[in-house]
Amino acid sequence: MKTKVLLVGGRSKAKSLAVSLINKGYQVTVINDTLEDCVKLSEIDRLTVIHGDGTRPFVLEDASAQDADIAIAMTAKDEDNLVICELCKKKFQVKKTVALLTDPKKTDFFYKMGIDSVVCAITAITGIIEQQAFVDKITTLIPIGEGRVNIAEVPIPGSSPAVGKKLWEINLPKEVIVGCILRGDMTMVPRGDTRILAGDMLVLISSDKQEMAAIQELTGR
Amino acid sequence: MKIQISKQKNENYTIIIGCGRLGANLANTLSDNGEDVLIIDKNKEAFRKLSPAFGGLTLNGDATDLDILLEAQINNATTVIAVTNNDNANILVAQIAREIFHIERVIARLYDPEREYVYHEFGIDTICPAILSVKEIDKILSRPDMLKDRLQEAES
Repeated sequence: MKTKVLLVGGRSKAKSLAVSLINKGYQVTVINDTLEDCVKLSEIDRLTVIHGDGTRPFVLEDASAQDADIAIAMTAKDEDNLVICELCKKKFQVKKTVALLTDPKKTDFFYKMGIDSVVCAITAITGIIEQQAFVDKITTLIPIGEGRVNIAEVPIPGSSPAVGKKLWEINLPKEVIVGCILRGDMTMVPRGDTRILAGDMLVLISSDKQEMAAIQELTGR
Repeated sequence: MKIQISKQKNENYTIIIGCGRLGANLANTLSDNGEDVLIIDKNKEAFRKLSPAFGGLTLNGDATDLDILLEAQINNATTVIAVTNNDNANILVAQIAREIFHIERVIARLYDPEREYVYHEFGIDTICPAILSVKEIDKILSRPDMLKDRLQEAES
């Protein structure tokens, strides 16, 4: 039985998310209130498209919201997303609801209203931009637990002061551990006496935004 | 001689969101009754609908923004009435008022009867113009002489 996902609103976001979900084997239905967008969306294979206002109960009913496992509301308006998720949750008993939110101040309120997952676009995007702009040493940074914990990939250049040192000789912040070292084709979980070599790729796990201090310590920049 | 000004201290403080026809009329009426009223609207021009005698406050801003609600001193409000022309905005504001600020009386106007029915079940006081009109028209239709009576009343 395929997992059924209901997407409401969102223009290009809906399109790329729908394609990605369909490729992963989900059964996807989108609701969109502009005919133009609906026509574009209907070009996607195996996608059910409903033209209508997703904040109205009968439109959700047309889209078989009662059978959906996950409902994702990503219209541009916070109030619409709230109503979509509440209707899905309380009227159609959808197990998981996800809302996109513009105003970060309302995150707690949305959770309080019973929405399972609140994605604040502004917080997420500013976070990513900050990383991209200031941390060019990191190739990948994955935030988990709403960004409280980060997993970072740090390449060690030859000029790094950490090269040749054992892990315990490096003064890393308490909230950071080196979870893994990638050396060539080898993958190893380091211990305190593991030596860091130039060209290593370290996988850091950090909390409390300590990854910047750790990266500075490791790369010397 | 002591002049005593008997100004009754009013404990009701009503915040109205949306200065449309309904919001403005409601604000005028409450203000005429001597109650403390504050009305919020995104559009400054909307406040022109208030009567010149309106004795309450106006606040220009988006009431779905928590900062604007705090500026309106929503903590001291006894009643919040959401009557913008957007159903979902009314729902959002009504739920913020109830869940975050614990306002005793929260009323939202919803145009869509179906949505009104659902949110009524969720425990928000809602009014729906369409349903109210239906009831009223039905009342008149069930008593054909009533309309005539009213017209005569108005003439005399």
